[in-house]
Amino acid sequence: MSDYPQADDIQAGATKRRKAIEMGALALLVVAFMIVSLIRQNPFAKGADPAKAIGVIVAAGLTLIMYSFLYRDNPLFKIGENLYVGVSLGYTAVITWRDFLRPLVYQPLFEAPTAAALRNSLLHLTVPVILGIVLLARISRKHGWVSRYSYALMIGWGAGVAIPLFTNSYILQQLTAAVKPLQEAAGAQAVAAPPAFSQAWLFGVAGPIFGALVAMIGTVAVLFYFFFSVEHKRFGSAVSKLGIWFLMVSFGASFGFTVMGRLSLLIGRVNFLLHDWLNIPVK
Amino acid sequence: MTTNPGRPRHYELTRRIIFVLVALAVILPYFSGRQQPFTPSPEVRKVFEKVDGLSPGDHLFIPIDYDPSSEAELYPMCLSLLRHCFKKGVIPIVMTLWPTSVGIAKQGCDEAAADANSMFGKKVVSGKDYVFLGFRPGVQNLILKMGDNLKGAFDKDYYNQPTQGMKALAGVNSLKDIKLLVDLAAMGTVEWWIAYGTDRAGIPMATGTTAVMAPDLYPFYQSNQLIGFLGGLRGAADYEKLLKIPGRGERGMLAQSATHVLIILLILGANIRIFAGRLLRKKEGLS
Repeated sequence: MSDYPQADDIQAGATKRRKAIEMGALALLVVAFMIVSLIRQNPFAKGADPAKAIGVIVAAGLTLIMYSFLYRDNPLFKIGENLYVGVSLGYTAVITWRDFLRPLVYQPLFEAPTAAALRNSLLHLTVPVILGIVLLARISRKHGWVSRYSYALMIGWGAGVAIPLFTNSYILQQLTAAVKPLQEAAGAQAVAAPPAFSQAWLFGVAGPIFGALVAMIGTVAVLFYFFFSVEHKRFGSAVSKLGIWFLMVSFGASFGFTVMGRLSLLIGRVNFLLHDWLNIPVK
Repeated sequence: MTTNPGRPRHYELTRRIIFVLVALAVILPYFSGRQQPFTPSPEVRKVFEKVDGLSPGDHLFIPIDYDPSSEAELYPMCLSLLRHCFKKGVIPIVMTLWPTSVGIAKQGCDEAAADANSMFGKKVVSGKDYVFLGFRPGVQNLILKMGDNLKGAFDKDYYNQPTQGMKALAGVNSLKDIKLLVDLAAMGTVEWWIAYGTDRAGIPMATGTTAVMAPDLYPFYQSNQLIGFLGGLRGAADYEKLLKIPGRGERGMLAQSATHVLIILLILGANIRIFAGRLLRKKEGLS
């Protein structure tokens, strides 16, 4: 055995030192956060609203905790993550009870003011409540089959209602819209055709026709790309490739909007930290 | 505890440099004292003009279908819409399909109602000038029920006041009696409102959504199933500009533009680096 330290020991020592430094930095940051919070949002100050001040401090702390993940996964981030899930679930349970179960199920059945009201509640609520309770049988392996009656009703009813409505909104109206712009553009040209190549003609006639043609070609090309019954050769291959280009443009637009959305969330949090927590008058 | 133990050290460093750059691009514009010039998009203008064209006493239905995680984008839209209603004397009917949206919907109503006094000199009262119905479960069933009997779906409002005989709901029996529905959504409720609600009731609909959802709305906009929409923080800023009441949307536009420029530069830089590296390797291989 060599007296010199092994590579593993050196690495373990370095990791230990790094962790100690990180813990020290974290402690300093927590102290700094508390000092800044007490200066900018002092809940004990004269005329301050303690509930609001504490709420802002907690929200600011949790925001910074969540962003600490950008440096490294850490125990505080885990606490924040679990807190979010727990609070959401607890809040949902309370609202469901307060706004729904208590006024619409519990009170009509157990606090009915008259016998007639109770009879009426029993008439309207017995079957739905039984079907709802039966859903909980899913947690039992032995009696789980009972819940299938509720699911069967939900699926059957859901599909029956959804199919005609979705066929109308998603297929028929969309198909109409895919053809309509060409008709409308042609109609506009026939009714009041301005002089060719004038500004009114370019924006009022040529523009909509061009847009409608691009939309139509795009729809056909993308549909053809997903049409696998015919081998994509020669002309078919060109149309299919055009479909891919349209899809790529669409993915690019989606990516751009996604970036914008994610940055908006960051902007929202920064606005909160500067404006609400630090009380900095942002322009 | 390491995030990506297998990745090289320079990757972690580059990642953190990008985070710092993005943070600076978001924070610094707030201290510049400048406003980003922009022109409202036609999609938002159409929604604004529709709301602006409503008469006092008309009803605007606003489902709040987002939770606090999308507050940054959708809360400014909610405030602007409610303020526009209070300014015009239009009666907003606010409700939500999700339990987690109740708090944020109530907050929006309270804030806009409180602001109405200082902004327009109007005292706005719940049950008379607006109504907050709160939450009921059922989603699609609830929309269908409201299409037939709104007061049957919500026999009481959030504050436990009976909707039957409520002044704010005078003349409203179902969704058919609404002049416009604007769904503020961060979840897939827009499609449900279209299919189960507005297409069936035959009323116009608009929407305000997160930027992530916005590209999916263009087909409905083209087919006139949506008269217009507000997409993300930019949509909120457009509406604030048209309403001439600045808010968080307009305030965030310079930061948004700065970060967009930064991201474009980063994408270009990374691509140039990749292609230059390939060229260099090719050259070395040839020589």
